[in-house]
Order: sequence, then C-alpha cells, then structure tokens
Amino acid sequence: MANTLRLYLTCIRNTLEAAMCLQNFPCQEVERHNKPEVELKTSPELLLNPVLICRNEAEKCLIETSINSLRISLKVKQADELENILTKKFLRFLSMRAEAFQVLRRKPVQGYDISFLITNYHCEEMQKHKLIDFIVQFMEDIDKEISELKMSVNTRGRLVATEFLKQFL
Amino acid sequence: MSAIAVNQFAQCITCHAWSPDHSMVAFCPNNNEVHIYRLSQDKWEKVHVLEKHDQIVSGIDWSPRSNRIVTASHDRNSYVWNLEGSEWVPTLVILRLNRAALCVQWSPKENKFAVGSGAKTVCICYYEQENNWWVSKLIRKRHDSSVTSVAWHPNNILLATTSADGKCRIFSTFIKGVDTKDSRTGPSSDSKFGEQIVQLDLSFSWAFGVKWSPSGNTLAYVGHNSMIYFVDEIGPSPLAQNVAFRDLPLRDVLFVSERMVIGVGYDCNPMVFAADERGIWSFIRFLGERKTISSGSKYGSQFSEAFGKLYGQSKHGLSNDAVEPSRSRGGIHDNCINCILPFRLSEISTVMRFSTSGLDGKVVIWDLENQADLSEYL
Repeated sequence: MANTLRLYLTCIRNTLEAAMCLQNFPCQEVERHNKPEVELKTSPELLLNPVLICRNEAEKCLIETSINSLRISLKVKQADELENILTKKFLRFLSMRAEAFQVLRRKPVQGYDISFLITNYHCEEMQKHKLIDFIVQFMEDIDKEISELKMSVNTRGRLVATEFLKQFL
Repeated sequence: MSAIAVNQFAQCITCHAWSPDHSMVAFCPNNNEVHIYRLSQDKWEKVHVLEKHDQIVSGIDWSPRSNRIVTASHDRNSYVWNLEGSEWVPTLVILRLNRAALCVQWSPKENKFAVGSGAKTVCICYYEQENNWWVSKLIRKRHDSSVTSVAWHPNNILLATTSADGKCRIFSTFIKGVDTKDSRTGPSSDSKFGEQIVQLDLSFSWAFGVKWSPSGNTLAYVGHNSMIYFVDEIGPSPLAQNVAFRDLPLRDVLFVSERMVIGVGYDCNPMVFAADERGIWSFIRFLGERKTISSGSKYGSQFSEAFGKLYGQSKHGLSNDAVEPSRSRGGIHDNCINCILPFRLSEISTVMRFSTSGLDGKVVIWDLENQADLSEYL
C-alpha cells in the first residue's frame, strides 16, 4: 500500500478514536425527542469543530461531531470520466441499501460521495474499535474496488472489441 | 487486580445505585425500567422491576438513611419510590419540566433532591405533607444549555451543577420551611433560594460529573476537552486548578478522600488523580491493568470482507475476523463508563471501595486496598 494512504488512514483512525465519545442526549428544542444533533444543528453549543482531513484535492474526509452523533463524509478519488461514473454508480448502489449497513447515511453530505452517521445508539450496541475499523476498511477497499471495476471494464472492452473485429479478418 | 467483582447485569447500563446496606443494586438497563437485584448466596437475583417511566431512565439515587429511591427519566418525570411491605410504591414528583430530566441526587439530609434537566433548569424538590407529593422549585434562566450533573454540598444548602455550555455553577437552595437557619454556614449564610454563588467558566467544551470532596472544601468536575478541574475556596474568589491528560475525556468523578479523585469515562479504565502536600493535583495512573494488543496485519482487498466485518461487529453477530487491526482495550470495562459511586461499608470518611457501571452492561466493584502507591493519598 502506498505510504501516503497509510498516513491518511492513520490520521482518520486517530481522529475517529478521539471524536467517537458519544452519549445519550435528549433534544433540547423538542419535547420527548432524541435526535442526532449533528443533523439538526439547533444548538450550536452541542457541536464541536468539524475536522477536515485531505490527502489531496480529490480525496478528503470531513468529520463532524456533536454530543450524541458523529458524521463522516468521504470524497473518493475520481481520476477520469470512467472512474467518476463507476464511483457514482457504486456508491449509489450502497447508499440505497443503507439499512443493511446501519451506520451509512442514505444521502451523502453535499460535496461528498458518501456519508456515515454514527449515533450513541451504535456505540452502545457495537464496539467502538470495530466501528472505526469498519470505516477505515471501507475507505481502504473502496479505492481498490473502483480500480478493479475499472480494470474489468477495460478488459471486457478490449475483449469485446477483439471479438467484434475478428469478423473482419 | 483491584477489581473484586464484575457482574454483567444487562447489555447496557445507564446508571446504578446501591441500597443502604449494599446488598441490593438498582440500575437502568438502557430502557424505561429500573431493575433491582439482590445478592443472595453469592448470586445476584432480580427481586424488583420498577416500571412507571415511559422513556429511558437517566438517573437513579438511593437514599442511605430513609431508604427511598428517586428516579429521573427522559420522559420529563421523576418518581420517589418507597418500600411498603415488599413492594416499591411510586410517588409523583411535580417537576414542571417540559424537557428530559438528566440527573438526580438526594441532598445529604435527604429532605430535598435536585434534578438537572434538558430544559436548562434545575428543580429542587421537597415533600409536601398536605398533598402527599413532592413539589419542586425551579432555578431558571441561569444555564445556557442542558444541566448534565448536580452535586450537593455536605451542608445541604449549596448545589453545584455542570452544564453542556461548559460552565460549572454553584447555587444556594435554601427553602423556607424545609431548611433551618442554623444549617446555613460559610459563604451561603445570607443567600436566598436560587441565588448563584459563583460561576466557573474554565472549560471550553461540555462539562460533566461534578462532585464535592467529603469536607465540601474542594469541588471537581470534568470537561469534554480531556480536562479535569479542581476548585478550592468556593466563594467570591475561588482557586482553580486545571489538569489536562492525554487520554479520552472523562464522564464522572468520585472523591475517595480529600486528596484523591477517581475519574471514569471514555477510556473504559478508572483514572486516579491525587494532590501532593502542596495541594497540586496531578494524574497518577490508570487503576485497571491494560493488556495491550498490538495491531496485526490487514487482510486482502475483497469488499465482501468489509461487509462481513460490519455484520460481524455487532455484539451478537459472529466475529469473523481472525486478524484485529486496532487495539482492543483488554480492560475490565469495554465501553464507556458513565457512573461511579462509593461503595461504603460503614459511615467512615474514606472510601476504600467504589463501583462503576458502563455502556457495556457491567457493574464492577473496585478495591483500593493493597495499592501501595495510592495508600498515602487515602
């Protein structure tokens, strides 16, 4: 693995480790409600400063924290048109199945490709380090998956083209 | 090992409280019920379930002398439970809150209790004989955010609160007809109900877990920016000490003696703070042993493995990964500890034992005896 990716992921892991200190906190604005404060943003004192971690212009990670919830938004590298369309389709496929992932947000935050929302309830029923591992593993795998997809599209394209051109021999 | 008993009572515990003789424990298993377990022949048995709230119970306190339980819940209500025969009978408390109640504590004389709330107010409740219910007086317009924790001064008048706006405040709670003149001592001698004695603005982030030392001379509370604050000489010119530490933030503290404080929080391991001869507080060490499991190598690239990881990470799911990339904590608690209480065997001033409960559903009793390096602070 490239050294810079390792640093990037370590930085994200450490930031998540520190940011994932969540607790049950009922809504201050609406009676008998309990909502992720990072989504509502009704009380500024319950939000912490967001952290933006950038590997380069195209790849970045925004971590927004509040007293009872945490939002992680990722921007995935898209070098060319093909990668762009593959990323879009693939992440849309995942977002549509957000329930199965529990921590995945149905819609990414504006300007990002995919977002996770972790609340205190997730921290209560899952182990914190495994949650962090999942996010980091996800980031690690998404790049590989996209380049694999790209490769298979290219291979298939070449194969199809070869087969097609054979008839003119 | 300083932990002498580890009991897994539920999947997740929000708060717990001990009966006066410490034979019973009451806790909320992260829902609207309060379970009471009794120790009989080395086994814990469920003896009572208190069901009256309809949202998660956020605070429980069991009064040591009058044997009453007070509970506070996110459903905006609070109940005082009396043991009549073999049943716990609830009495309604008129809190007059329109937001969740977050914390509750009996006063030292047990004639009042304080409830901190998400409505940015504190309710001081006392019993009204004529109506057979507990009524409350509210301290309004002082807090800028939810009140996360309350603590009574041993003199039964002063109340310290911490709030999510990062401030710690001290109020007088003198109520005519409930408190007598002679119980007023110290800086509160001429204050009315709800008067703010001092406001401490030390933390840049949310403040939690306020406690007084046994004598009432020192106050300790924690900030979410991994700081703990010690305040002496409460009054017009308080003396404050900030101690920063390198680990995750704390949630609650406990004074073991005048010179030693145990802090618990997101690091899942109690931390010991102590003051030296000059009264300078510092972090001493972690109480629990920590087995460090170093990170292993990562496995291949298949996306399905990340999927599998997600399903495998839930507590009940199958753990399918042989290689664990990040350190698992290896302590006694494996999730955030959010409650610490003294476990006092008799009415002596030093606490040799205490209990902690956390989001991992364990109640752990710790013993400070045989800790040679800590005995000088006790």
